[in-house]
Amino acid sequence: MDKFIQLGQDMAKLWSNYRGMYLSGMWNTLLLALVATAIGCVIGLACGILNTIPYSKNDPAWKRFLLKLIRILVRIYVEVFRGTPMVLQAVFIFYGLPYFTDNAMRFGSVWSAAILIVSVNTGAYMAESVRGGIISIDPGQTEGAKAIGMTHVQTMTHVILPQALRNIMPQIGNNFIINVKDTSVMFIISFTEFFAFHRYITGVNNMYFPSAAIEMIGYLTMTLAASFLLRWLETRMDGSDSYELVQADSLTMTAGTYNHPGKGSPYDERSREYPKEQKGGI
Amino acid sequence: MADMILQVKHLSKAFGSHEVLRDIDFTVNRGDVTSIIGASGSGKSTLLRCINLLEQPTSGEILYHGENVARPGFNAPAYRSHVGMVFQSFNLFNNMTVLENCVVGQVQVLKKNRKEATEHAMEYLEKVGMAPYIHAKPRQISGGQKQRVAIARALAMDPEVLLFDEPTSALDPEMVGEVLGVMQRLAQEGMTMLVVTHEMAFARDVSNHVVYMNQGVICEEGAPKDLFGAPQKQQTKDFLARFRQN
Repeated sequence: MDKFIQLGQDMAKLWSNYRGMYLSGMWNTLLLALVATAIGCVIGLACGILNTIPYSKNDPAWKRFLLKLIRILVRIYVEVFRGTPMVLQAVFIFYGLPYFTDNAMRFGSVWSAAILIVSVNTGAYMAESVRGGIISIDPGQTEGAKAIGMTHVQTMTHVILPQALRNIMPQIGNNFIINVKDTSVMFIISFTEFFAFHRYITGVNNMYFPSAAIEMIGYLTMTLAASFLLRWLETRMDGSDSYELVQADSLTMTAGTYNHPGKGSPYDERSREYPKEQKGGI
Repeated sequence: MADMILQVKHLSKAFGSHEVLRDIDFTVNRGDVTSIIGASGSGKSTLLRCINLLEQPTSGEILYHGENVARPGFNAPAYRSHVGMVFQSFNLFNNMTVLENCVVGQVQVLKKNRKEATEHAMEYLEKVGMAPYIHAKPRQISGGQKQRVAIARALAMDPEVLLFDEPTSALDPEMVGEVLGVMQRLAQEGMTMLVVTHEMAFARDVSNHVVYMNQGVICEEGAPKDLFGAPQKQQTKDFLARFRQN
């Protein structure tokens, strides 16, 4: 029990001394995760559309070649960025660019580098999620859109992607939460997110455990908030379950407009719904 | 001379080594209501899907006002906007309301403004009796209602010819009537229609031309009273006899 009281006191002390740092770290983490997830989604959607452009034997050779090339490039991108750790990607991009161009090209700020790295990484995961989302939509939807003369892009943007996007919302949420936590590896390029401040603060006062506890609570708060927000967003996207009738439908068959063989017989459901004689009537 | 809209010449379609359609020839004139009947697997639906280029024919020509639409590099979307299609499984856009389903094509493909498109859509939704349900999503209405919306969606594009791919096969018996009723009314108003159907009564009473398909070829065609009254070929007789028994 003493240990817990001690821990609580230490945490309170840390929080009162370094509250500004922790909060700004959380803010940076959230902002980076949010922006990078959003850009990653756009990259994923673009890859998903490019990947699913149909071609047939009858298309001209250059078109088939181009589409095959695009698919191969997207595939390479996905496999490379999904298959290597983000820490190393950060090192390669942030330090590699000035190294290979003899300092001719370098990142203006650590923010732009961090956003680039995390979005490109998220994009690789999202590309596959989007592809899965598109495949999961009934092919009849595509046929319906094509039958009224929509092009591939129109079909995608108006019919398929809105439905696919709804289906991959849990995946987007997953990616966002993973990004909130995994942006912590951006300390390698000296990006000051939540975890970087933990390293700084413990470096000053050696209070590893209380600071780690604060970090735990901080991360959990951020991810829980994100979870609830996403659930709320999903129910919003599903829309209302009810709708308003503007007037009566004149063509649907209701009692009195439909004659069938069993009418009036004991097997007739409608006759039970609307009995001729009211039992025990008024 | 009759105004020819579609002319199918020597059309063949194979899926791998399986030949689904062989050397199909027929024409659709303006105002025609043509029914295509035949057993399941006889290639009726594939023929319809080839006409709308949802399937690419293996060989042969489909002439739309004299222009071959089955050639490589043809602008299929523009052609499809003149040839409406109603599917067995409705294929309404699940992410839109009934009204949006009928508006989106006009706005995106025909480039109409939204107000004009909405008015036009309402006209046809009223015609099929679905005006009360314009704010409903497809998952909230019945099969027969979905199919009527699908018909309104196709009509709102002002197509020259409307293709129906077994429009009542996925419906409960008590909903078949409301869809056939709408189709009959369209036929009376002079809409050019090509209907793949198992409803023999519809083929006999509403259409003015009937095509009987058997194993990928057109076995017999003609006016309904000839084909149903005095079929010439044995296969046609057998097929119709099976339906009379039911």
